[in-house]
Amino acid sequence: MGGALRGIFGYCFLVFMTRIVGRRPGKQMEPFEFVLIFFMGGITLTPMVGDDRSISNAFITIMSIALTHFLMAWLKQVSPGFGRIVDGTPLVLFEKGKRHIETMKKMRVSDADVMTAARNKGITSLDQIEYAILERNGQIVVLQSEDSQ
Amino acid sequence: MPVNVPTKPVEDTVPKVNDEVAVGSDLEFQYRWWKFERIVWTFFLLIVIADVLGVFGRGPLAKAHARSKDGTIDLQYERVERFSTPSIMTVKFGPNAIRDGKIQLWVSQSVIKQLGNQRVVPQPLISTVGQDGILYTFPAASAPASASFALEPSSPGVFDFALQVPGAERLSARVYVMP
Repeated sequence: MGGALRGIFGYCFLVFMTRIVGRRPGKQMEPFEFVLIFFMGGITLTPMVGDDRSISNAFITIMSIALTHFLMAWLKQVSPGFGRIVDGTPLVLFEKGKRHIETMKKMRVSDADVMTAARNKGITSLDQIEYAILERNGQIVVLQSEDSQ
Repeated sequence: MPVNVPTKPVEDTVPKVNDEVAVGSDLEFQYRWWKFERIVWTFFLLIVIADVLGVFGRGPLAKAHARSKDGTIDLQYERVERFSTPSIMTVKFGPNAIRDGKIQLWVSQSVIKQLGNQRVVPQPLISTVGQDGILYTFPAASAPASASFALEPSSPGVFDFALQVPGAERLSARVYVMP
């Protein structure tokens, strides 16, 4: 029972922590943010396994994590409110030549982050951006203005 | 035989920005989330400060000291322990604890069971079970003398324990074991 409960708790705790730390550890991850992911995962591992190094414990813990993940995905599907809590909501960063400065500040997204996404679409300057949207998975999607096309 | 795949007409259910781009942004929720995040970050900061101080064990506030009124036992222990984490409890004996070149110390069963005593230093000459605990007999020359117990709590919870030199005052204390 301990392994299953520890697995469920560890999974939920890490989901909560990554949600609180912010959306940047998704697609916009910088090298220093790798440290966060590996460190949190590594530290969670030890108390999850405890002193039980048996195959039974490993199987039960993995299965309990898989079940929790399945349950969470199902809840996200049936309840949009739960989905917003776990994944957040898309946020507009740039809108018709205007920055949403509060959103960018609170989401810790800089112009350089937006420009990184823009260059991937062949956009060469910020003023060519019609919309920049921070997606729920952490990716910044950029739409080019018609004038600059 | 062809499979009949269920279908439904596509509806434009995702709210748009400026009637142009379907984004589905929910700023009202986001403002509530940012407020919640501020509370959580403050809570995390308080937890970290409390941990550095030893509220959750292994810090200055966790260290405790108790002394029997008759001076036979002086106890140094950690009032907040952590589950399955080693710590040392030290018992110092006063001169009146030494009788016939020996010190006898009774410890309650909770020291062995819940607080997970792993070993006693120095090795006792005799360990006698009974009276809901263990009576250790150590060889002793003269005061100051001390014995150390290597503890490793076996489960989280709140546990009371007691120590006593037979014929002297009993010393009781409480330990909080964090998960």
